[in-house]
Amino acid sequence: MMKARGVRDMIKRSIFLAVAMCVGVSAQASERISAVGSTTVLPVMSQAAEVYHQMHPDLTITVSGGGSGVGIASVIQGTAQLGMASRETSPEEQSKLNGNVDNIVIASDAVAVVVSKAVYESGIHQLSIAQIAAIYHGKVKNWKVYGGLDKRILVIDKEASRGTRHVFAKAVLGSSHARAEGASIISGSNNEEQMIVSRSDNAIGMLSNAWLNDKVRGVDVVVNGKAIAPTIDHVRDGSYPIARGLHVLLPHSATAATKDFVQFLLSKEGQKIVKHVGYLPVR
Amino acid sequence: MLILLWFLWDASSAYWYDFGISQLWASEWYPYESLYGLLPAIIGTAWAMIIAMLIAVPCGLAAAIVSSEILPVSWQGWLRLGMEMLAGIPSVVYGLIGLWVLLPWLQNTLDLLTGHNLLAAGMILSLMILPTMMVMSQDALRLIPIEQREAAMNMGMNWNQRLMRILLPQAWPGIRSGILLGLGRALGETMAVMLVVGSLDRVPDPIYNILEPAQTLTSRIGREMGEAAFGSMHFSALMACGLVLAVTAICLSLLAQRKPREFAS
Repeated sequence: MMKARGVRDMIKRSIFLAVAMCVGVSAQASERISAVGSTTVLPVMSQAAEVYHQMHPDLTITVSGGGSGVGIASVIQGTAQLGMASRETSPEEQSKLNGNVDNIVIASDAVAVVVSKAVYESGIHQLSIAQIAAIYHGKVKNWKVYGGLDKRILVIDKEASRGTRHVFAKAVLGSSHARAEGASIISGSNNEEQMIVSRSDNAIGMLSNAWLNDKVRGVDVVVNGKAIAPTIDHVRDGSYPIARGLHVLLPHSATAATKDFVQFLLSKEGQKIVKHVGYLPVR
Repeated sequence: MLILLWFLWDASSAYWYDFGISQLWASEWYPYESLYGLLPAIIGTAWAMIIAMLIAVPCGLAAAIVSSEILPVSWQGWLRLGMEMLAGIPSVVYGLIGLWVLLPWLQNTLDLLTGHNLLAAGMILSLMILPTMMVMSQDALRLIPIEQREAAMNMGMNWNQRLMRILLPQAWPGIRSGILLGLGRALGETMAVMLVVGSLDRVPDPIYNILEPAQTLTSRIGREMGEAAFGSMHFSALMACGLVLAVTAICLSLLAQRKPREFAS
């Protein structure tokens, strides 16, 4: 009887202790911030957040996508502490940010013009900007025209808010909000785009160079008669025409811990992650 | 309800004042060029609902008849449990099933450019409203007194006649509510539709072409709301999409409430 009571007491006490510890830990620690925006910047951010959290358990960073436009809007509205963007901010956005935000480039990458594996293997290894524009304007609808198979082209456009779309449309169609009359489907995140391309045998799309794989191939872009592959080396030497910086938006009002984290992204350790993901480090 | 409507109206009033009601049948949606035609998404929504109903109503009704009239009582419980569980699955799961199973299948069997289209959206929706349809119809059939069935049998009616002349007419109000509730869910469903519909803001060409990517009102709101700055015209236009949805949904539920005259007597 006594013994049983003792055991019960012990259990009670240990539960109490456990609860107290949990409460204590959560009270003393945990600053939570959220980083929202570009799904191109996201892999760097989430890996860095994980590494950083191991070094500084007191800062937890929640990373979520949505696109560059969403990231910038979240910072404007104050719903996120960090924004991620894979493009420059527009003048309209800048006026809303009102100079209260540091726009920091943490990496650069190439926006690759991607095609399905079957298209690549049928002989389409390079396209000129004019040829890509013809596809997106709906003037060319069959791969046959460029020497491929007699198949309709699945033209993948992206949501208007996506940074990749801005950069691609500016380089290929002339302005960042240009219409793509030839579009056959609209995709959102990089994952979605990658999935649609890899599932199709006739697709063309736009993706950051780090998202290429066996089923999603980047074609060379012809500039002045020279075919240039979407590689980090060609971003570095400036020859690839659709390159861009990857940005983090840090509000001036951010906490010290948040600022430290952004410094970490720019440190040797952080830039190693950038390189590991497949982008060009800035330092 | 009134507060919700007022909120939607208030948020979208800038849009209605600037562009007017004619935007309902304007076919160009390019927010960056200040073109906010709602027609592509309205047509997309209508098609998705029609396809979903064409599949779900016959299937749900058949399932209800089989389970309440033909199967033994002990099986009915299990079938119903299954249906209720089906109704409880989050919509994103249906969307993912559509993405991984339905789209490749459609693409291969119909030899399409892409499986993302209105047919896929309608099929996923039909799966989601099937439980509502079935459970409501089953309840309606069960409410018919046993005496009526016996009387019909004594009159020498065969199964077909009993079904067509006695059971279905009696159960019709319940079935009708099931249909309208199902329509309401099909109308408002966002996530599953967004994943499979293709989100292309263009009126289907020709208009009955349900095998090309298209856009629905819900999927447009889901995709663009994060970006639209609060108070901008884009935001207001998206709220207008919401208002169109809300008004349609209210009409549907009013229809569901109203008892047909012939049964009131």
